[in-house]
Amino acid sequence: MGYVRGLRCRECGAEYPPTKLVVCDACFGPLEVRYEIEAVKEAFTRDALAHRPEDLWRYHELLPVFDEASRVDLQPGYTPLRRAENLAEALGLREVWVKDDTVNPTYSFKDRPVAVAIAKAREWGLPAVGCASTGNLAAATAAAAAKARLPCYVFASAHLEPTKLLLPRLYGATVVPVDGTYDDANRVALIAADRRGWGFVNINLRPYYAEGSKTLLFETWEQLGFELPDVVVVPMGSGLLLTAVDKAIHELRDLGQVDDGQTRIVGSQPEGCAPIVRGFEARDGRPQPVKRPATIAESLAIGDPASGFEAIQIMRRTRGFADAPQDEQILEGQRLLARNEGVFAEPAGGTTVATLRRAVEDGRIDRGERVVLLITGNGLKAPAVWNGVLPELTPVAPDPVAVDRFLGGEIHG
Amino acid sequence: MVKLVLASPIATATRGEREISLEFEGTVGQLFDEVTKRYGDGFHARIFDGDGALKRFVNVYVNGEDTRYLSGLETRVPRDATVDLLPAIAGG
Repeated sequence: MGYVRGLRCRECGAEYPPTKLVVCDACFGPLEVRYEIEAVKEAFTRDALAHRPEDLWRYHELLPVFDEASRVDLQPGYTPLRRAENLAEALGLREVWVKDDTVNPTYSFKDRPVAVAIAKAREWGLPAVGCASTGNLAAATAAAAAKARLPCYVFASAHLEPTKLLLPRLYGATVVPVDGTYDDANRVALIAADRRGWGFVNINLRPYYAEGSKTLLFETWEQLGFELPDVVVVPMGSGLLLTAVDKAIHELRDLGQVDDGQTRIVGSQPEGCAPIVRGFEARDGRPQPVKRPATIAESLAIGDPASGFEAIQIMRRTRGFADAPQDEQILEGQRLLARNEGVFAEPAGGTTVATLRRAVEDGRIDRGERVVLLITGNGLKAPAVWNGVLPELTPVAPDPVAVDRFLGGEIHG
Repeated sequence: MVKLVLASPIATATRGEREISLEFEGTVGQLFDEVTKRYGDGFHARIFDGDGALKRFVNVYVNGEDTRYLSGLETRVPRDATVDLLPAIAGG
């Protein structure tokens, strides 16, 4: 079983062996993977890391895959951590970094959790895989399934951005276009996976799937010279990524790799679908489900987020906060990132940038804090949000005079 | 006939039956009372907490509509409805 000790319920603490269990057998709470930390400590050293391949398997002691041969290697992970001096200057901050997951194999961070989940599906010899998706997961699951030669079934809203429905089909998956929201697709996907014995990465492989997302934080730590930032801003759909970031920090702490200095974990959702943010603001700390999400940030449009309650607890415990920018601010966030750093993020990335901007303006983030933004998806997957935002291009005649006129009379070059 | 659809983790309390048909009309709460009569108190204990509320990670849908947006356990179940009883798992 490698370094894995077992599964533990995040809600009631019940422990189980690392099997195909989906949720806690006692309370249906979410399960998380626990490791033999003392054994991991021996192997997971900075010297050892320095000699490993630059992909997410470099942290294999803290990933729950037992059989190396079951990995499907599209080489996700070890994406750039970019020093964002221009963005920092534009926003009036001392130090901002962009963890750029737009460059993963299928252009989003979802390649990370999928790598672990597909490896588990292969270990267990499952006949097919799939997912319920707001878009990015669909492509990631379909691509990994193609490489693994496994049939793949993707459940998504039929009303999703065309690119996000196109990609999984190109990778050979069967797309089930559900006439409803993501939450509708998730409900029928759950029943389909349950009935057929398929491995749905974010449903019945979820405890293992979640582990892959920790590598975003492990890499950030390594790329910052084995340090953690003061603040990390995380986009939230289901809230699972935020819980993975927190778990990764805890594991590094348990291993003695970082001290107890606290990283504030900040979560960001679009105002048009902000069940976790509204729950953070409410006294009872319970997510407030949204029946009909209405936002351009479709990859975050989960109205009933399964990890919302945990995410709220984590943001409160780490003295972070939750924030919900409006769609216009999200577009402006995308534009700021593109124009200052040359990184074109999808609206989810614009959401985190917008939260940073809003929080610097109202003092929730101090200008002296070292901030890392998780940029989790590529803007080319959601180009339609720019329709009508930029002015139309009018053709210019292939003629130097016309060019000079277009450029305002100035002679260039 | 009302059709009750259960996910496997919950169906351990219905002898593994994942689809149950019942002649029934009433509320969601009354439907679960009927199922408890048929399968025993273990079913009740499986989905309710000690305070008589549904466990936090249990979701109920009547004809695809989440009952939290309707009237919870007081939601009406029409004669030919499909009721889904599922653990809460969602992640994009």
